[in-house]
Amino acid sequence: MGHRSYVGQSPPRREDPGLVAGAHRYVADIVVPGCLDAVFVRSFEAHGLLNAVDLAAAQSMEGIVGAYSAGELPDLPVTPAPPRAEVPPEMSWPALARDRVRFAGQPIAVVLAADRYTAEDGAELVFADIDPLEAVIDPGPAASDEVMLFEPRSNVVSVREFGAPVDDVMDSAPVVVETIIRNERLCPTSIETRGIVVVPDGDDITVHVSHQAPQRLRQSLARSFGIEAELVRVIVPHVGGAFGAKSQTYPEYIVIAHLARKLGRPVRWIEDRREAFAGATHGRGQTQRLRLAADREGNLLALEALVDADIGAYPHTGEFIAANTGWMLSGPYTIPHLHVRVRAVVTNTTPTAAYRGAGRPEAAYALERALDRLAHRLGADPAELRLRNFIDRNEFPYRSPTGAVYDSGDHAAALRLALERAGYDDARAEQRRRRTTGDGNPLGIGIGSYIERSGGQEGSTEFGSVTIEPDGTVVARSGATPQGQGHATAFAQVVASALEVELDRVSVIQGDTDEVPVGVGTFGSRSMQVGGSSLHHAAHDALEEARLRASAHLEVAEADLRYDDGRFTVVGTDRSVTLGQLATERALSAQAEFGPPQAFPFGTYVAVVELDRDTGDISLEKLVAVDDCGIVINPKLVEGQSVGSIIQGIGQALYEQVVFDEYGQPLMSSLMDYSLPTVAELPELVLDQTVTPNPNVPLGNKGAGEAGCIGTPPAIVNAIVDALGGRDEGIDLPVTPEKVWLVLSRSD
Amino acid sequence: MHLQLTVNGNPREVDGAWEGESLLYVLRERLGLPGSKNACEQGECGSCSVYLDGVLVCSCLVLAAQAAGRDVVTVEGLAENGELHPIQKDFVEAGAVQCGFCTPGLIVATHELLARNPRPTDPEIREALAGNLCRCTGYEKILDAVRAAAVRNSRA
Ligand code: FES
Ligand code: FES
Repeated sequence: MGHRSYVGQSPPRREDPGLVAGAHRYVADIVVPGCLDAVFVRSFEAHGLLNAVDLAAAQSMEGIVGAYSAGELPDLPVTPAPPRAEVPPEMSWPALARDRVRFAGQPIAVVLAADRYTAEDGAELVFADIDPLEAVIDPGPAASDEVMLFEPRSNVVSVREFGAPVDDVMDSAPVVVETIIRNERLCPTSIETRGIVVVPDGDDITVHVSHQAPQRLRQSLARSFGIEAELVRVIVPHVGGAFGAKSQTYPEYIVIAHLARKLGRPVRWIEDRREAFAGATHGRGQTQRLRLAADREGNLLALEALVDADIGAYPHTGEFIAANTGWMLSGPYTIPHLHVRVRAVVTNTTPTAAYRGAGRPEAAYALERALDRLAHRLGADPAELRLRNFIDRNEFPYRSPTGAVYDSGDHAAALRLALERAGYDDARAEQRRRRTTGDGNPLGIGIGSYIERSGGQEGSTEFGSVTIEPDGTVVARSGATPQGQGHATAFAQVVASALEVELDRVSVIQGDTDEVPVGVGTFGSRSMQVGGSSLHHAAHDALEEARLRASAHLEVAEADLRYDDGRFTVVGTDRSVTLGQLATERALSAQAEFGPPQAFPFGTYVAVVELDRDTGDISLEKLVAVDDCGIVINPKLVEGQSVGSIIQGIGQALYEQVVFDEYGQPLMSSLMDYSLPTVAELPELVLDQTVTPNPNVPLGNKGAGEAGCIGTPPAIVNAIVDALGGRDEGIDLPVTPEKVWLVLSRSD
Repeated sequence: MHLQLTVNGNPREVDGAWEGESLLYVLRERLGLPGSKNACEQGECGSCSVYLDGVLVCSCLVLAAQAAGRDVVTVEGLAENGELHPIQKDFVEAGAVQCGFCTPGLIVATHELLARNPRPTDPEIREALAGNLCRCTGYEKILDAVRAAAVRNSRA
């Protein structure tokens, strides 16, 4: 009896032939006859009173179909807050600024024309009269409320606490290390920018959009406009990357949908790169003060972390991303006493939201840097220190002091494997040799151990359905909409395995709310863990229904049926019926909305760096990544996610940083100012894995895709500090040759 | 302006173009060839890479007027007899594609690299493709794809 399973295989991705040919369509490729192009006029001040917006010149320019500010659109809805954020109504984000601007790049007006070039020219003619106010760009000073964004309301939007104060432990602990860490803002920078096309048809609107969560966008647009969700169809075509920044409802989307409805004409907005830097949400952006206490053997006693999260000018998704940091701050270690306080603070900068990792990289980086400081203080080996404090593999499920319930893990095994793959002992020997002889450049070895959370919010579900067609083909529908991860292939593997049919018989539909009205979306490393599990359950339910029908059809007990490759056969006879035949008279379909507990993938990264003594240049000689995301459904896809995520982690460690000047002007407006890693920066990568199955989902898988952003930065920066002999003054993210050179030159 | 040019071997004519618009705009918005992608319009990402008279260019930096009378080849023109070009197949095989937005530009850039240097070394590949940004793949599989193409060339 053949049991087909595609779990653990890497069949070719279904999207790829069309993608390499340039044949698949992204939102900017969709042709809608008569569609207007929109261009936004954005605030050039980071903070100011918006006295007037003069649209007259633009409105009278030939070819301009319309120019609007908030004044012309009195019933323009505000930008809806995401479901989980705590946003006081007086701090809501207007879709077009009214009276006040709070960040440079904030939309003030919009100009429509038949083509983009004309609309750009029209936008040039709009004049905004703004009286500048003092801007505050750093969350620490902002929290003091000397400059307020929403007076009389404090800039501190929320305070979340985990655990209770640990001062008494700190006071009596034999060793306490303190550190202040700045986790810089990053720009997610998908290569495709944001884009939306809204096509009205009577009261209905069809929205083509580059998005991670079409069903959620549909609900949010319907609520904003006070219409039934059935009137809104959201279609997500191919998406050119997202990384968290395409999961929300943006002000621009509200404006475009509003104008399309108002004018009864299709309108599109395709963001340009400059707007993408200033107007789309950023990620990270935290200042953290840590105190870590231990005994002289290195057993951790207590951790205190005071986190100020810079959430930008309007509280949005960033408001609760910071909570993820608090939630994950005890990491993979046993820390008896913990106190974390996270303040979400508004500043005159672009609002923040999720960026790959979303709160977990900030936690892991802080903790791993503090641990290395502790190791340095104790003269302990950083690997030994981690092994001493890891949660033991027999203690899972483990309830962390922040309240997270870790499902499973074997952290020591992952660390040991990473050390072995890095040639840790040899690298340490070489380091000792260089230090004693003074030969060669400084060499450093750094470790970043992490635990992350996958699956999104506790209890969040995903929709999956499986329909067997009369011709025997199978259609799977999922609410988890991809942005290039390859869901269609991996989901087909899950469904084909559950039904034990050929892979090619299964097609996958996603990203169109007419086809899949219910769903949550792709973020938080949840698609396979939550969405894949739902499809697995739906496929099993469909198969059980088929078995019932087969037993009635063939007039035998279910126990007398054998199932193989889409066909039920009466044991010992040649009487049989196929899945397709069982779907002829009545639709054969099942659906599930499964909400498994969160999972906690983990691993250890080891970086080896060499520093140029004369120039401070940092050479990343090797990066070893050992990840454990449970059972892997499609190794090639997971490997692709790992490598992509690692390179983004390298970007954070060494190159990327969103910088505002003291007036709140963003100092990057192009890909020349914001340094994404290129192929030239790719180091030698060694990927390996341990496998600790997720006990809470049928296939044993956990989330994958964000780990590289979490494990990589601490491993690299710890390696740099190690090469500098533990001196870390001024070594903050991103670590540039200049910062390294300054440390080297101070000692020579 | 009235514009005549050759695209993927076919003579094409465009009426009403503005001299200052980009070749990328002409291809995408006027000629129905959206394979070349617009990811920056500033010559910084390589997503819009095409051949102009056999030379690799960022089509976002070429003015429509400059393209008059010239010969343009885009990603849509690389397939042969309805079959993917071997380089395109190498990208699929290697797993060098995720969201695919950078891919057309990378395919054209790789095509150009291999045309002038059929067996590039790793440093040569890195140098040639350093102008093509990809945010998804981390480049490793792209390198694998180009290496595979180079190996194929050395067997040929
Ligand atoms: S779009 Fe031409 S280089 Fe980026
Ligand atoms: S595959 Fe997404 S940018 Fe390269």
